[in-house]
Amino acid sequence: MFDNFLFLSSASLTIVGALAVVLAPNLMHACTYLLTALVGVSGLYVTLSADFLAATQLVVYVGGVVILMLFAIMLTGGNDNKSVNKFGIEKVAPMGNAKTFTLAGFSAFVMALVILKIIANVNKATPKAEMAPYETTVERIGELLITDHVLAFEISSVLLLGALIGAALIARPRRREQ
Amino acid sequence: MITLSSYLAISFALFVCGIAVMIARKNIIAILLGIELILNSAALNFAAYTRFVNHNLDGHIMSLFIIVIAAAEAAVGLAIVIRFFQIRESIHIDDATQLLQ
Amino acid sequence: MMNDNVVSFFSDSPPYQMLNEKLSWLLNFDTSGMLTFVIYFVAAFVIVNVMALVGGLGTYAERKISADLQMRQGPNRVGPFGLLQFLADGVKMIMKEDIIPKTSDKYLFFIAPILCMVGVFATLAVLPFSSGFTLTHLNIGVFYVLGVSSLVGVGIFLGGYSSNSKWSMLGGMRGASQIISYEVPVTLSIIAMVLLGGGLNFKTIVGAQGGMPHEWFIFHNPFTIISFVVFFIGMLAETNRAPFDLPEAESELVSGYHTEFTGMRFAFFALAEYVEVFVVCGVAAALYLGGYQVPFGLSSMEVLHTKIGLPMAPAKMIGQFLEIGGFVTKTVLLYYVVIWIRWTLPRLRVDQLMTLCWKYLTPIALFNLVGVAVWIYLFNGESMWNLVFKTGAAAAGHH
Repeated sequence: MFDNFLFLSSASLTIVGALAVVLAPNLMHACTYLLTALVGVSGLYVTLSADFLAATQLVVYVGGVVILMLFAIMLTGGNDNKSVNKFGIEKVAPMGNAKTFTLAGFSAFVMALVILKIIANVNKATPKAEMAPYETTVERIGELLITDHVLAFEISSVLLLGALIGAALIARPRRREQ
Repeated sequence: MITLSSYLAISFALFVCGIAVMIARKNIIAILLGIELILNSAALNFAAYTRFVNHNLDGHIMSLFIIVIAAAEAAVGLAIVIRFFQIRESIHIDDATQLLQ
Repeated sequence: MMNDNVVSFFSDSPPYQMLNEKLSWLLNFDTSGMLTFVIYFVAAFVIVNVMALVGGLGTYAERKISADLQMRQGPNRVGPFGLLQFLADGVKMIMKEDIIPKTSDKYLFFIAPILCMVGVFATLAVLPFSSGFTLTHLNIGVFYVLGVSSLVGVGIFLGGYSSNSKWSMLGGMRGASQIISYEVPVTLSIIAMVLLGGGLNFKTIVGAQGGMPHEWFIFHNPFTIISFVVFFIGMLAETNRAPFDLPEAESELVSGYHTEFTGMRFAFFALAEYVEVFVVCGVAAALYLGGYQVPFGLSSMEVLHTKIGLPMAPAKMIGQFLEIGGFVTKTVLLYYVVIWIRWTLPRLRVDQLMTLCWKYLTPIALFNLVGVAVWIYLFNGESMWNLVFKTGAAAAGHH
């Protein structure tokens, strides 16, 4: 019973958050709704008995990516009133107009037709097997990362190093040539 | 009754919202928000299949790496957005149409 | 295997089973789910209320201890020794007018204090008060605490941004960057302790320690002492406590990111900060100082039931209360040190803060982690006291 309650609340948090990201006119509010959606996905991981994954989602996304987005919004003009910069371009980009939203709605509808058909086939195909009882995944994931998937583990550490250096290099402040 | 299809439906909803955000918005950072939603839907899919079909935790490893890669990609993407803002003073996607300025 | 939690602790006892049977017979369906919910609700209610009390008493303790350090009296009018001062402060804050700036972002202004509170109170679910009375012994307990306390950083940033004032914005950005920077040395220190303890579960890590000080992890090898110092400094910075309280400094930024918050909203920020300091001291006590272990094994069933001869049920309860007492004593001692440091050291500038984190604490924490791992490999996880005793015993046996 608690399982169902957790699943329903996490699923509603996720879907409401994702819809609000689509529809919110304010960029900072959209970031907050993304935070809600990510916390909802973490709750869904808990119902799937993926406890390590849920905690990783919280640490990396909530503590890292969302704060990064908020800082970037702050450093690129924030959400202040519209103004025109020296190129004659609008300083803060609008969040879409009627044309783009109708296009988005139409493509969402087309994708729904395709994907829901696939999901319906999945519903018929998977056998209703017994679900394994909950067991903690931390030790097992630790073993797998060091034995079976060690190459991906090491390459991802190199990738993170590259991303760190690259991001710092691209966004470093430059000396102004006056 | 919670089955595999319910998780696939939620993952589908996240994916469609992510694509809608990417098409509808004109702000580069808002488009990056949509990309995060899409990556999350893929990770949720992998975890759901591990629980219901696979049982050998390879899906969880894949979801972990998706989370790691999404964080790195968000960092580099936002660095590019900040550099773009330093040059063009705007984060409208229509101002990013030229390769050489 | 399910996580250990409060319900599994109670469900072994006869009164619970009797109650379950009676209620099932009375209401005609299986009431174990309902009883689980009721036990969780009561336990969470008790813990949250006690923590709110601790937050209030923390303000009183701060004023009394700072008064002692500055050779003055502190609050001594309201109640005996001024103990009810925090209640008077609470009533004052509730009755204050709730002012919202006109150009502020109302939605973000509303949720910023709530995010801080949620981030802090959610960590209370895994804080290891004792081996039975913890709400739940999550298998990922340490990781969960790290994840949920990142919500505080988001709350601080949104609070600073939504006030739409320059001082608050500066305070918010400095606070958020301080929190995310100091997460790195803190996480590395925690990982060193997880290596020693053998799991992310608080019960495993506390269980690997003993009651006497030479069995605590802080004295396990020279690297863990340095690790404790790094962790302590990092946690002072994470909770925005002096000497790292630049985001909320009175003389610099007119109270920083919570300038524009009045009354109950400001009370939320302050309460979140004091409870977070308690939680952080609790985590430090659990990871380094032996948590709820009491000396001589006094809280275990062997000593209480077999040696002293108490009956089963009271022995279990007395053992649990002894463990809670041990944990709270160690946490309160660390809390005293935190308050003492605040009123002793001057405030750090923001570039000194960042230099300390990235140029000093992070390399030290990295070398510590490698050092602890090398020690575990070389000496098979023995602490330095065990090695000294063994060589002493071997030398004595030789002669």
